[in-house]
Amino acid sequence: MKKIISVTINNEIYEIAVEPNQTLADLLRYDLGLTGTKKGCDTGDCGACTVILDGDVVNSCLVLAIQTDGSVVDTIEGLATEEGLHPIQEAFVEKGAIQCGYCSPGMIMSAKNLLDKNTNPTEQEIREGISGNLCRCTGYQKIIEAIDSQKS
Amino acid sequence: MLLPRFDFHDPASVQEALDLKKTYRENARILAGGTDLLVHLKKDLVSVEHLISVTKIDELLKIEEKGGDITIGACVTMASLAASGLIGEKLPALKQGAQSLGNHLIRNKATIGGNACNASPAGDTLCALLIYDAAVILQNSEGAREVPVSDFFVGPGKSCINDDELLTGFRIAVPPAGSGADYIQLGKRKSSEINVVNVASYIEIDPANQNILNARIALGSVAPTPIRGAKAEQVLAGKTADDTVFFEAAEAARRDDCKPIDDFRGTAGYRQAMIGVLTRRTLAAALAQAQGK
Repeated sequence: MKKIISVTINNEIYEIAVEPNQTLADLLRYDLGLTGTKKGCDTGDCGACTVILDGDVVNSCLVLAIQTDGSVVDTIEGLATEEGLHPIQEAFVEKGAIQCGYCSPGMIMSAKNLLDKNTNPTEQEIREGISGNLCRCTGYQKIIEAIDSQKS
Repeated sequence: MLLPRFDFHDPASVQEALDLKKTYRENARILAGGTDLLVHLKKDLVSVEHLISVTKIDELLKIEEKGGDITIGACVTMASLAASGLIGEKLPALKQGAQSLGNHLIRNKATIGGNACNASPAGDTLCALLIYDAAVILQNSEGAREVPVSDFFVGPGKSCINDDELLTGFRIAVPPAGSGADYIQLGKRKSSEINVVNVASYIEIDPANQNILNARIALGSVAPTPIRGAKAEQVLAGKTADDTVFFEAAEAARRDDCKPIDDFRGTAGYRQAMIGVLTRRTLAAALAQAQGK
């Protein structure tokens, strides 16, 4: 049976009816059209569906939408503003950290969460911070350089 | 991949969760972090009519030290365990286990209760629970019982938890001064992997003469469940802690305690050889810690 939840996504409050067996990834993509969040494996292995849920990064394919009632979710769509891309997104473009682009939204959300919690991560901490995000083009070095360029 | 249809329950208290368990019994499953269960449901490996989510029950989220014991709520996540100063200081091998599980995304959701109930022989926190001789706290609507973690696992994916019970947490006696513990896991990668072989060791010495007062060894991924290295522990009992006796214990663990199989992650021979190496290394690291080095 559908249940109405209230969830804040990218600073906007949504009141929406969800099925118990609907994942957060599917809610974002199919119900809300927020297709920036990708689905790769759908089993928590690849990190393409990474979003920030109540301040921590999670695989949105392994969270039930119904569990996010009252929560705050940040997705890739929430980063850019009218002024342009988020500095981390800019850094990914500038450093060539995007190849096919499929892992980029998840990778950038992990990078943002890492930098939110640790403004000056070491290379090792950056590597750990994206350890749940797979890049099949294997462009990890440039991704690490992009994140490194955003240290303060 | 679609999840099957189910009814979702979000109880606010243990009592409410137990009432739901009692009503739906084998048709219900407890949902904690979901990093295993939701995958199993998507792959159609398990079936369920009612999912009872327990992650919003406050008392399952606490880590507390009281009267010489540390209690850890079932829904404490791997990330919280790894970040806990109390766990890092008093139960370092458990911190190491929590830190090695999956990756940072998984650790933000995966819970210690879920890791135990999933009962994988390779589970990252299970060797630590074994060497710290944790008691598993199981509750039903009539009351609570405690089961030593060494009796909790009965087979791959199987534990002694009953249909009407909820695992609410773990109770671990704070290790005394002069003790140390260590955990090492080997996998194909540094993250996002399932262990090929994993070992934890705990040692307690008499500082006056280095005699071993207590030693516990746990072996992962080399039997249908995580197991204690009983023969290796016997070798250590009452001896003076040094490299020679650690080598003998490691040999006993390798030769007598482990019963590994070949699978796509690794061969039985490799696992058996590594049990020897890791037993020795974890014992040496545990001893260094016990000596305050």
